[in-house]
Amino acid sequence: MTRNSNLHIVFALLIGLGIGVAYSWFLSPVTYVDANPSILRADFKDQYRIVIAASYNANLDLARANARLILLGDADPVGALSAQAQRMLAAGEAFEKVRPLAQLATDLQLGYVSNPNTPTPLPTSFSTPEVESTVEVAETIIPVTEEAQATPIPTLFFEQTPLIPTFSETITPRPTSTINPVISIPFTLVGQESFCDPSQPALMQLMFIDSRRNQVAGVEIIATWNQGEDRFFTGFKPELGNGYADFVMQANTIYNIRVVTGGSLVQNISANTCTEPNGFQYLGGVLLTFQQP
Amino acid sequence: MLIYNPLMSSSNLIKIIIALAIGIGLGLMYGWVIDPIEYVDVTPNILREDYRVDYVLMTAEAYQKDFDSETAARRLAILGSESPATITANALEYAMSHNFTQVEVQTLQTLLTAMQTYIP
Repeated sequence: MTRNSNLHIVFALLIGLGIGVAYSWFLSPVTYVDANPSILRADFKDQYRIVIAASYNANLDLARANARLILLGDADPVGALSAQAQRMLAAGEAFEKVRPLAQLATDLQLGYVSNPNTPTPLPTSFSTPEVESTVEVAETIIPVTEEAQATPIPTLFFEQTPLIPTFSETITPRPTSTINPVISIPFTLVGQESFCDPSQPALMQLMFIDSRRNQVAGVEIIATWNQGEDRFFTGFKPELGNGYADFVMQANTIYNIRVVTGGSLVQNISANTCTEPNGFQYLGGVLLTFQQP
Repeated sequence: MLIYNPLMSSSNLIKIIIALAIGIGLGLMYGWVIDPIEYVDVTPNILREDYRVDYVLMTAEAYQKDFDSETAARRLAILGSESPATITANALEYAMSHNFTQVEVQTLQTLLTAMQTYIP
């Protein structure tokens, strides 16, 4: 074999390699048919979170909601929920649509179902004829008894990846039998403190707690001033507390704060001027604490 | 480019063709197996079936609470161009054949009934 023919062979090999790579990358790339939720486009992930939260709002199964959120591959699922809730509010979505997201974020932060009083929908009659009469089901249907409700949720339908960690019951056990305060009980102002923190200039912080000093999420607050009005809710920054909300004030502006639930009104709130030892001046913050009797 | 050379022996030509074929094979293996194109930002219609079914189940669970057919249909619509009723029926079929709990099957059945009667 001559040196020339060896070169031809190498040359042909390289050309073939190039053709193969080009074909497999551009002409006929790998087609995904079994994608997982973590590679969904951002807007579809948002939709997925909404559905997870809506489902959680219905069944209060925190472990399952958490397992489903993990599928989205967010580094911080709670943060992603909170951020989405805030984005939706900023986009003008109704609070009722955003509330399930905030509630799920709050409960994940707490680690338990914080609002067990939410009416849990019971599945419609177990003996509904549609299912019973289905031929395919006849062999697999478990006789419906009271015990059937507590049957551990099988993860069998996730054939390859067990999506749902094993947990014993559909409904997450409630941590205590304590009845959470009903949010309609009015809040009263129990504390008003000014503070100076250059990292949080002109920040009005509001904290809502119930009679047992548990923080309360989902409280609607309206701040009004001479040029406008803003509406916000507690619980959208669970990392700072479920009963926490804040609002940035402007200089030389007087604010009235109204708690929509219960109608509490706090008037004449403004940002004080703070002065650092070096003479630097900035607007200070205010912390308002509300409590249910 | 390989140019026909009357002086090239037929054995050399065969070797070149074989080398070309091996190169193509290696290239395909590289592009399809070793370093395939990675997809991001995909749409839900290519979700694996169990994820799709779980999504439908979540929609059904939410429907059990609000009984809002329009919202449920809109949520299901992102799974593809099939009708919400078809999507739910497929999910129900999957649930039945994969030992979903009775409650879950019933939840899907309820949604299916709603989607079958839903008029956009």
